[in-house]
Amino acid sequence: MFTIALKDIKQYFKDKTAVFLSLLLPIALITIFALMYGGIGKSEKSRPINLLFTDQDKTNLSQEVFSTLDAEEGLKLEIKSYDEAETLIKKGKRTAVLVLYKGFQDSVETGKKIPMELFYDEAKEIEMGLLQQALWSNLFGVTMKKGIKGKVNTWIKDKNPDLSNSEIEDIQAQVAEQFEGFNNSGEQSEIEENSELPMTALVGEKKNGNLGLVQAIAGIAIMMLLFSVSASGASLLKEKEDGTFRRLLIAPVSPSGILYGKMLSTLFMAVLQLSVMFLYSWLVLGLDIFINLPALILMILCAAIACSSFGIFMASVCKSRKQVESLSTLIILVISAIGGSMMPLFFMPAIMKKLAVISVNYWAMEGFFDIFWRQLPLIDILPKMIILLGIAAVLTSISVISFRRNLLKMV
Amino acid sequence: MLVAKNLSKSYKEVKALTDVTLNIQKGELYGMLGPNGAGKTTTISILSSLLKPDDGKIFYEEKSLYQNLSECKKLIGVVPQEIALYEDLTASENLKFWGTMYGIKGQQLQNKSDELLEFLGLADRKNHKIKTYSGGMKRRINIAAALLHDPKIVFMDEPTVGIDPQSRNLIFEVIEELHSRGLTMIYTTHYMEEAERLCDRIGIIDEGRIIAEGSLDELKANSSIKEEIHLEYSNPNKNGLEQLTDRYNGQLLVNDDHLILSSSQANSELPELIQLCSQSELLLDKIDIRSLSLESIFLELTGKSLRD
Repeated sequence: MFTIALKDIKQYFKDKTAVFLSLLLPIALITIFALMYGGIGKSEKSRPINLLFTDQDKTNLSQEVFSTLDAEEGLKLEIKSYDEAETLIKKGKRTAVLVLYKGFQDSVETGKKIPMELFYDEAKEIEMGLLQQALWSNLFGVTMKKGIKGKVNTWIKDKNPDLSNSEIEDIQAQVAEQFEGFNNSGEQSEIEENSELPMTALVGEKKNGNLGLVQAIAGIAIMMLLFSVSASGASLLKEKEDGTFRRLLIAPVSPSGILYGKMLSTLFMAVLQLSVMFLYSWLVLGLDIFINLPALILMILCAAIACSSFGIFMASVCKSRKQVESLSTLIILVISAIGGSMMPLFFMPAIMKKLAVISVNYWAMEGFFDIFWRQLPLIDILPKMIILLGIAAVLTSISVISFRRNLLKMV
Repeated sequence: MLVAKNLSKSYKEVKALTDVTLNIQKGELYGMLGPNGAGKTTTISILSSLLKPDDGKIFYEEKSLYQNLSECKKLIGVVPQEIALYEDLTASENLKFWGTMYGIKGQQLQNKSDELLEFLGLADRKNHKIKTYSGGMKRRINIAAALLHDPKIVFMDEPTVGIDPQSRNLIFEVIEELHSRGLTMIYTTHYMEEAERLCDRIGIIDEGRIIAEGSLDELKANSSIKEEIHLEYSNPNKNGLEQLTDRYNGQLLVNDDHLILSSSQANSELPELIQLCSQSELLLDKIDIRSLSLESIFLELTGKSLRD
């Protein structure tokens, strides 16, 4: 019994790289999830939420609202025209825009319904929750104060037309001292009604807008695809172990031809797997895959190319199938976590969000979100496709070099 | 057909081949005999372009291998030591794949594949997956995969390793048939009986050098040993065997139940040998004088057994 155990332990430690990776995997995952769920990142100052601001009123009060919101630590304001803001939100680059329409100040002062609106991306549900918290307290702090002042002013003037301005100000000061007592009065309820902020989703109210479904399908599809292509890429090392690789090298085929052949078969399997996943999602889960079919086909192709190049990359840099298994599991779980396959990116700390752009998952998922959630035209999705192809080009170049350095020397 | 001049190859500090020169004639079956690690597979790997030598030149039909790589590769067929086949594919699918790698297509490939399967006695199993085959059957398909493109020269790297005697005989018959059809072959082995049975000429290789070369008769003629004394014993007495080994240093092969003494004059050496066996308390069951084998020639040349 002990002899068998000892033999197994010896075998385990023979491949030092595989041992290292098998230990590194849990460490890497613990670190990522610790960062996600708090712990390490807890003391870190939370990242402000970007809020676009469209001021069509351009009055002192609208400026005051801007200054108040801008001073809030949890918000980062950017002034944009409504059209610019709408484009940014629809492309998923910003969360929301607060629009103060013409007549904002007049309405506040005269106690009329305040012309303002918040447009947002429904996909960024969690960010919206935090944004609302920050917005409500600051925005209504300004409008309520001005609204009450305006109401009181109008009432005093109506009832006492002979009072001078200084006398009115005295009365207002006394009213302000008693402000706390207004809490549940009918006047405040009316102001609250006037201050109601209508919210309109710019993205997400269209047909087929099931955000969770898109997140689940795109996230899991890409993560599982990465596992499949790694196994497929590892078949190159199996050929080496079985001796068929030597036989291939003896045949009148160039070594690059062998590598590209492997890539092609891996690509075929990747396209097949993604296609089947989306067909299943259409047939069983009700995802409308025909919403932008050309874009979906191109996106599947680009994601498959990027993922299959990852599979070949793994096979080229590793020296054994055991190494491929350990290293690919590590990399896939890490990039899937930081790329948003496992959970929405908003859970991540700022540094992880920045890192997400290096992952295939991130760009592929963003592409699928553009198709199914944001429902952007093909031209707006193209940059993500180009980035995926760029990732594929880099990984393939490294694979070709590593293939010559590692695999060909191992025959 | 094949000329290799002064091939040398080192792996870091280890010299795998030193100045190996070969001249293989068309239609010849050349045997490369040597123990494991002697350099046989390295030689085959270099000749088949898989490895580049540190020094030396290779010509196929007077064309330099490295200057006409693609053309020369088509002249070569290699039967590797391992079963280099796809276990999950059928025999027919494997042959079609390997044929396609050499540019054979369509009906020509189909015909060639069927012909080889028939020739190797596996036509009825052609649609079965390789993983369902016995070791001997796999070995035969391994050979077929090297013959699909009608190579001019075939390297067979220990093609009978790990199979039963019956399957081995089947493979010998295949090789003899190919030889009779005029195919040039280089056959590596560490079994002297294989080299003796199959090969026109034999190169004895040890520690990366060809130490003797010629037909079996030429090798025997050039040896100072003329005969072998075979002694079978029933009590393997360790001390006794050690005494004999010391006395006949480099001449005596010790096996589990018998000794082989290489001798230039068996009749005159036999009495002393029997006396020494008696002194060493070895109980002899049988004494036999046989003609010289490659095993003894190898022992004479290297001072060690082919099995070492």
